[in-house]
Amino acid sequence: MFTKKQKRINWILVAVLLVLSVFFLFPVIWMLANSFKPDAAITADMNTIAAFIPPALNGNFLDNYVSIVTDTNFLRYMGNTLLYAAILIVLSIVVNGLAGYALAKIRFPFRDQWLMIIIMLLIVPTETVITIHFLIIAKAGLLNTIVGYILPLIVNPFNIFLFRQVFVSLPDDVYEAAQLDHCGPVKYFFTMVLPMSKTVVATVSVFTFLNVWNDYLWPSLVFTSSDLLTAQIGLNSITSNENTTMGQTLAVITLVTIPVIIIYSLFSKQIVEGVTSTGSKEG
Amino acid sequence: MSFIEFKNVCKKYPGSDKNTVDNFNLDIEEKEFIAFVGPSGCGKSTTLRMMAGFEEITGGELYIDGKKVNEVAPRDRGISMVFQNYALYPHMTVEKNIGYGLKNMKMPADQIKKKVDWAINILGLEEYRYRKPKNLSGGQRQRVALGRAIVKNSKVFLMDEPLSNLDAKLRVSMRTEISKLHRQIGATTIYVTHDQVEAMTMADRIVIMKDGVIQQVGKPMELYDHPVNQFVAGFIGSPQMNFFNVTVDGGTVKFSDGNTITLSEGMQKKLNGRTGEMILGIRGEDIKLDAQNMDLNKDNAQSAVITDTEVMGNENNLYFSFGGAQAVARVSKYEISQIGDTIHFVFMPSKMHFFDKETGVNYTEM
Repeated sequence: MFTKKQKRINWILVAVLLVLSVFFLFPVIWMLANSFKPDAAITADMNTIAAFIPPALNGNFLDNYVSIVTDTNFLRYMGNTLLYAAILIVLSIVVNGLAGYALAKIRFPFRDQWLMIIIMLLIVPTETVITIHFLIIAKAGLLNTIVGYILPLIVNPFNIFLFRQVFVSLPDDVYEAAQLDHCGPVKYFFTMVLPMSKTVVATVSVFTFLNVWNDYLWPSLVFTSSDLLTAQIGLNSITSNENTTMGQTLAVITLVTIPVIIIYSLFSKQIVEGVTSTGSKEG
Repeated sequence: MSFIEFKNVCKKYPGSDKNTVDNFNLDIEEKEFIAFVGPSGCGKSTTLRMMAGFEEITGGELYIDGKKVNEVAPRDRGISMVFQNYALYPHMTVEKNIGYGLKNMKMPADQIKKKVDWAINILGLEEYRYRKPKNLSGGQRQRVALGRAIVKNSKVFLMDEPLSNLDAKLRVSMRTEISKLHRQIGATTIYVTHDQVEAMTMADRIVIMKDGVIQQVGKPMELYDHPVNQFVAGFIGSPQMNFFNVTVDGGTVKFSDGNTITLSEGMQKKLNGRTGEMILGIRGEDIKLDAQNMDLNKDNAQSAVITDTEVMGNENNLYFSFGGAQAVARVSKYEISQIGDTIHFVFMPSKMHFFDKETGVNYTEM
């Protein structure tokens, strides 16, 4: 039971959070409301409260969206990005998961030193190694290919660390029981370890999706063919085109934002649990 | 050749200067129920894990069904194991937990179903069939763990303190269930426990271990009545055997507080002329207060003041100071005494044990 004082503090906290959330939501609401308007209406409403109110439902309501979908390749770019994200999620879980499992449960020489190196890699910004990645991919003749795009993104020290921290707390006797149940180590990883660690699998999946969805630099270096471009590059090329209206720009930005909002809404619990649980148990 | 044979088996962990399990020799017959018992760190679980193949055997040889298994993988040793923490697969239902091993052994689905149904039925798990482990009580989880072990038709069951996480009442009922299951299935069972009551009530033979060394192997009553050393005598039985520092001089035993008793001819013969400082051990139920025994041994009658009592329902434990030590007598529930009462008692002449003060060896069992 809360005391009167605690209740009052709770109310104040709720009020502050509400104000803050409205503050952060304003640009999103503005974007959404204006993405349905023609440029003239956006300009006319600019300095009024109407800037935050969508126009009335009529035949022209979805014009900006229709033109983006029909006049540009944006849907294809979104489809490409979803495909790359799906492939990377599977590969991230398998590769980083296996690495995390080895670091957590298998004894081998210099295991702890390896872990330290991986943790140290967390502080290296992507931009510092991107040139090296580019040169390797170019040398391998993989520029402008999906493999060339995906290959350097599979191994991710942060994901390895997340997996390792969760796997280290898995009970060893389950592995021993599985051994007696004729379950080999690889089967054990896929049929026991991953299902027992759903939270971290969800977290890594969400982070991988968001990384792919929001990445601009790497795909812009690897891809030149318009057939392979990603949503962020498509967004840039559409918004920087002088024929694109402000309404169309806002519509395309809305389209790019929607998947991120959906993913965050669906998996916010897992993301928080996944990240917080990684530091809670040791051995 | 016995069904399971330990030949000078040793376990030494890297960095340790002494063996955790030292020169372990034991023959186990088929269908036998053997309990490994001893205090924490005595090597009983390590020995069991060496049998399972989870710990490397660093010395000696282990044979199961005539085959040397030192280098054989756990899955190929023909064993099932029940773990202390159950080790159930948390994301699988009861049914799937039990059938998982059979599925991996590529058994046809209809046979798996038949076997799982049998196990579920025998263990009374029908209504929990589709539940996951987190929705089961400790006792139900333990039964699932047993189910997983029994469906595989293994020749050997290993149980590593399977009841230690259960409450006292459930432990007693599961004890009976495991014994019943052993009689029904007939697999050779090796049961590790630190609880001597479990070992006494369930096992055909008990192996008592201390510091990685076998102290004594025998049937429960052999260990109880004829312990080879003071450790075994103290470990088996509850309340613990009473021990007194005494000096034996011919037929007389002198306690450290000056009291004396005279030894029977039979006991003197057992001592074979040994004299000097020793430890006298006698079980609580062999300290008699009743008139008949007092009359038979009236020359050796002693008295003491009760310092504490334990009413067990079926019997009473009376605590008193005697011979320079705290002692306990187990008496019938009809022999009621209060704290502060003076009791008169005798030690049953043939039930005394005399242990070497240094080595703990029982002179009366040599």
